[in-house]
Amino acid sequence: MESQAISMKGNLDEQHDLSRARAAPAPTVSRETRGQTVGELRSQSARMRCTGVNVFYGEKHAVKNVNIDLGNNEVLAMIGPSGCGKTTFLRCLNRMNDTVSGCRVTGEIVMDGKDINARGVDVVPLRAQVSMVFQKPNPFPKSIWENVAFGPRIHGLAQNKVELDEIVVNSLQRAGLWNEVKDRLHEPGTGLSGGQQQRLCIARSIAVHPEVILMDEPCSALDPIATARIEELIDELRENYTICIVTHSMQQAARVSQRTAYFHLGDLIEVGDTKQIFTRPQHQLTEDYITGRFG
Amino acid sequence: MSVPLLVATLLVMSSVAYFFGRRRAFAVAQGRLRSLHSLPAYYGLYVSIWCGLPALLLLGLWVSFEGTIITKLVVGGLPEEIRNLGPDRLNLVVNDIQNLVRGSIVSSKPDAAMRAAAERYASLQSISHAAMFVVAIAIAILAAALTLTRIRPQQRARNAVERILLWTLIASSTLAILTTVGIVLSVLFESIRFFHAVPITEFLFGLDWSPQIAIRADQVGSSGAFGAVPVFAGTLMITLIAMLVAVPVGLMSAIYLSEYASARLRATAKPALEILAGIPTVVYGFFAALIVAPFLRDNGALLGLNIASESALAAGLVMGIMIIPFVSSLSDDVMNAVPQALRDGAYGMGATQAETIRRVIFPAALPGIVGAVLLAVSRAIGETMIVVMAAGLAANLSANPFQAVTTVTVQIVTLLIGDQEFDSPKTLAAFALGLVLFAVTLCLNVIALYIVRRYREQYE
Amino acid sequence: MSNAAATSAAGGGAARRHVDIVMAGMARRRAAERRFRLYGRIAIGVGLFFLVVLFGSIVSNGYSAFWQTELRLDVKLDASQIDPQGGRDPAILGRADYGGIIKHRLREMFPEVHGRRDRIALYGLVSNGAAFELRARVLANPSLIGQTVSLWVPADDDVDMLMKGKIKRAGPEKDRRLKDNQLRWIDQLKADGRLEKRFNVNFFTRGDSRDPELAGIWGAAVGSFYTLIVTLLLSFPLGVAAAVYLEEFAPRNRWTDLIEVNINNLAAVPSIVFGLLGLAVFINFFGLPRSAPVVGGLVLTLMTLPTIIIASRAALKSVPPSIREAALGVGASPMQAMIYHVLPLAMPGMLTGTIIGMAQALGETAPLLMIGMVAFIADIPRGAFDPATVLPVQIYLWADSPERAYVERTSAAIMVLLAFLIAMNLFAVMMRKRFERRW
Ligand SMILES: Nc1ncnc2c1ncn2[C@@H]1O[C@H](COP(=O)(O)OP(=O)(O)OP(=O)(O)O)[C@@H](O)[C@H]1O
Ligand SMILES: [Mg+2]
Repeated sequence: MESQAISMKGNLDEQHDLSRARAAPAPTVSRETRGQTVGELRSQSARMRCTGVNVFYGEKHAVKNVNIDLGNNEVLAMIGPSGCGKTTFLRCLNRMNDTVSGCRVTGEIVMDGKDINARGVDVVPLRAQVSMVFQKPNPFPKSIWENVAFGPRIHGLAQNKVELDEIVVNSLQRAGLWNEVKDRLHEPGTGLSGGQQQRLCIARSIAVHPEVILMDEPCSALDPIATARIEELIDELRENYTICIVTHSMQQAARVSQRTAYFHLGDLIEVGDTKQIFTRPQHQLTEDYITGRFG
Repeated sequence: MSVPLLVATLLVMSSVAYFFGRRRAFAVAQGRLRSLHSLPAYYGLYVSIWCGLPALLLLGLWVSFEGTIITKLVVGGLPEEIRNLGPDRLNLVVNDIQNLVRGSIVSSKPDAAMRAAAERYASLQSISHAAMFVVAIAIAILAAALTLTRIRPQQRARNAVERILLWTLIASSTLAILTTVGIVLSVLFESIRFFHAVPITEFLFGLDWSPQIAIRADQVGSSGAFGAVPVFAGTLMITLIAMLVAVPVGLMSAIYLSEYASARLRATAKPALEILAGIPTVVYGFFAALIVAPFLRDNGALLGLNIASESALAAGLVMGIMIIPFVSSLSDDVMNAVPQALRDGAYGMGATQAETIRRVIFPAALPGIVGAVLLAVSRAIGETMIVVMAAGLAANLSANPFQAVTTVTVQIVTLLIGDQEFDSPKTLAAFALGLVLFAVTLCLNVIALYIVRRYREQYE
Repeated sequence: MSNAAATSAAGGGAARRHVDIVMAGMARRRAAERRFRLYGRIAIGVGLFFLVVLFGSIVSNGYSAFWQTELRLDVKLDASQIDPQGGRDPAILGRADYGGIIKHRLREMFPEVHGRRDRIALYGLVSNGAAFELRARVLANPSLIGQTVSLWVPADDDVDMLMKGKIKRAGPEKDRRLKDNQLRWIDQLKADGRLEKRFNVNFFTRGDSRDPELAGIWGAAVGSFYTLIVTLLLSFPLGVAAAVYLEEFAPRNRWTDLIEVNINNLAAVPSIVFGLLGLAVFINFFGLPRSAPVVGGLVLTLMTLPTIIIASRAALKSVPPSIREAALGVGASPMQAMIYHVLPLAMPGMLTGTIIGMAQALGETAPLLMIGMVAFIADIPRGAFDPATVLPVQIYLWADSPERAYVERTSAAIMVLLAFLIAMNLFAVMMRKRFERRW
């Protein structure tokens, strides 16, 4: 943990990282309190700091003025009724919305002192740093080994086959899939069960050694056992990564996350300590949602 | 009375029959239209169909077989020595007779026997026409009258009409099968006759192809040589050159248009490329023979290369151009079928667009692309006009793309064009080549369609 | 702490994060990306380049064919020569020696020309068709007899080519089609204003000819027209009927599967194979006449049917089931629902597919070669049973002719054919736009 803090600090004055990005102005208190969000927006050791993030799909205002921090070594859960903009917001964090035509993002998302939306920021290293796991498992139609090796290969993370093998094995182990696939590494990844596929996708993500992992309802297609396995995995991963997870299961949010954010119709209503959100929500809408009055 | 006029007459009669049928329906209903099973119009239609359909069918059959039967009769009446001429010479004679009847130029000076035969032909033809006219009209009237008198209120006219209609629909849909059967039978029969004259092994594996020598019996090597290997090799070479042009260009333009191009570029470049697909092949043939081939020859000469004016290169190049839009639109479809989730997966961990395309989309789409390429190959093999106009006639067994080679389709066309005799090995050889062509393209198509279908199901 | 984090922390204080490795590789990867994009641009450029070269070379070769060099002759129509009896009988007028009149006039214009060789060279400046034009003029208007008429007649194709700059004046005389004395005469005629390029009416009104300056596309156009009419009359009803059956009434079983497979395969069978079918079945078996548009139409029907069936089925599929259900709901039989409710809605789509099929048929050459539509036919066909040729085959025939003047005529014929095709396709596109789903 310390090493990461050091490397972060060192990174601030490194020239070649996100080199052409303009430096973000220091966030001010007045901006932080803007919006109707209640609760602890900011965390002590922020890995990513979002300020005034808005997303439009054409005319549609899908995410409205969101301010929030993603803390180091912390799992942030995002909950809210369907269509409230969770996925949309999550996709802002590694600029996946760039691939959607007609989608416009405003506001600041600062990481390592740079706004990731600034002109000149290269999305490729950004996405290597902030990796994404999707709702539906989407293994490539290649072998299991190839799936995991894909990221390290394109990013040049391994000098040779041995190193690459090491990364693949390591990632599969950490995704808790190793024992199940170690004898069939060269069979197609699409031949695995749904839960295994999702863990393969997680392994694929962590093989590029990201610093932040974004997960969009990673367990929605899985049975309780596979879900439990992935939740365990998320908990383990927290040691080294910052994780942001979208979920429809309040229990899951309560089990895996330290902080929880509640979205409603594009607004971030409330953020806070998970325990506090689920026991003493401050906002009426949050309370209605978690007590199951709607959503 | 000409056939179109007769058809028109029958059509008019059947429309008239419609009104009679309807009137009759009103009459039998005696003012209580409700008592009719169907609307009066259906009774009209019923009578009308019976009036027109059988007569028209008969007419069709008559016209189809009239020529063959009359020719048989006329040939039967020819003097003994002409009848014993042998099939190919006899064919020429028959042609002359027919030309004589039509009053056009004849290859030999007509003698008395010929003129008599022509007269016989003409009289038989006029008798046949008269008979056809009488019989067709009679059938139409008879059938109409019979159905007309049998109209009853409780008759299920609508059902009857609909049943006839349904059968018409079924018959139309069966035409596809009939066509295939027709193709198979026509090439197969003549090919079998060919293989009686030339052993199939010699045809498939022989290295010498010179069918033209077989025209005159007194020439050296009069039997001709029917080893088709040089022809197949030439076809493959031109196809290969075409694929070398079409596959990379088609594939890359499909990728660029679907993944990179702005909406504006796509809206202009895509239809522009598709224009290439709509240009008739004869235009490509002209382009290849009169523009590309001389250009290649002259520039080759500047570089010290000896490029024939009918080089495989020119034909293959232009054929490749023709196939570009075919490859690009098929592979565009195929790559669009790759789910967005795979793209997202790659982008989500920081792959560049090129890496995503090359390492994820392309491998995922590969089966479909292979199918598309197979279809393109089948197209190239069967393409005719470009090679007829730009490739050579001589069957050189050579791997040099600057040389002139010949292809299966070129040989089919040259063997059959302007030739009146249908029984020499030379013309039959064309059908044997046609059989090979049909079999090969059929296999390619079936495999390709199967692969593409499987591929689509995978991502459904 | 995991391995990965440990390695990133290793190497003392200057930790090397993975993102740094990624950054280090970015220049190379960006270059690869740019290269890949460039390949795509090149590919599109190559395709468009060929398109432009194709059209450019055809237009630049062909536009000049719409003009034809003509020669103005002032011929005296001597009554004693044309109509000695004075009865103005067309049969007698038609037999007069108009060629002789023209030759006489040429000799008058160039009195210095003597000797058989030179005279033949002089006569060679005028097309063989000049006499026919004069004859037609006289027959149409016998009152001209006795007068001197000023007449534009087509010049020989070599003169035409020279005037259009397509053959050179330079070079040794024996290699040239036009000799020195001919060039001199041409220059003199030009100086007198008797040699001029005029709109090439013949090209649009005549049939094929052995003389390029007299060859026209009208015969082929009419042949194409008859062929397409036969094709349309057969393939549209048959195609729609087959599509209706397969889409609306057919049970799903082996038989219909077989039909479907057949249709898909026929769509990909080489066109020349259909020609073999036509030759073996329609001509050899049924004894239909060779070179006739009706046989061409039959063959093209079989060829275009798959296109029409596939398009028609797509059109039927796009009609929402609610329409059928509504019709069936008010007591219509399935056939009635089909005819009165579904078919009208699917008709635009079917017609679009048919037009596209017709455009294909119009451009098709190979199968027609097999059934003898390649014969040299100078007359304009008067019906679907007359020997005829079609536009693409005419193009093929001209492209094969050695005369230089046919090159431009071939290109011009291609321009006409392409104009038809473009018009048909635009019409199809417009129709598709106009009738795009309204429900
Ligand atoms: N590509 C798009 N184009 C237009 N509108 C979109 C697009 N994607 C999402 N939206 C809209 O944006 C809003 C937020 O969508 P989003 O997918 O972020 O919701 P969500 O909170 O993830 O919902 P769920 O829980 O169902 O996944 C929705 O109203 C949706 O209709
Ligand atoms: Mg979502």
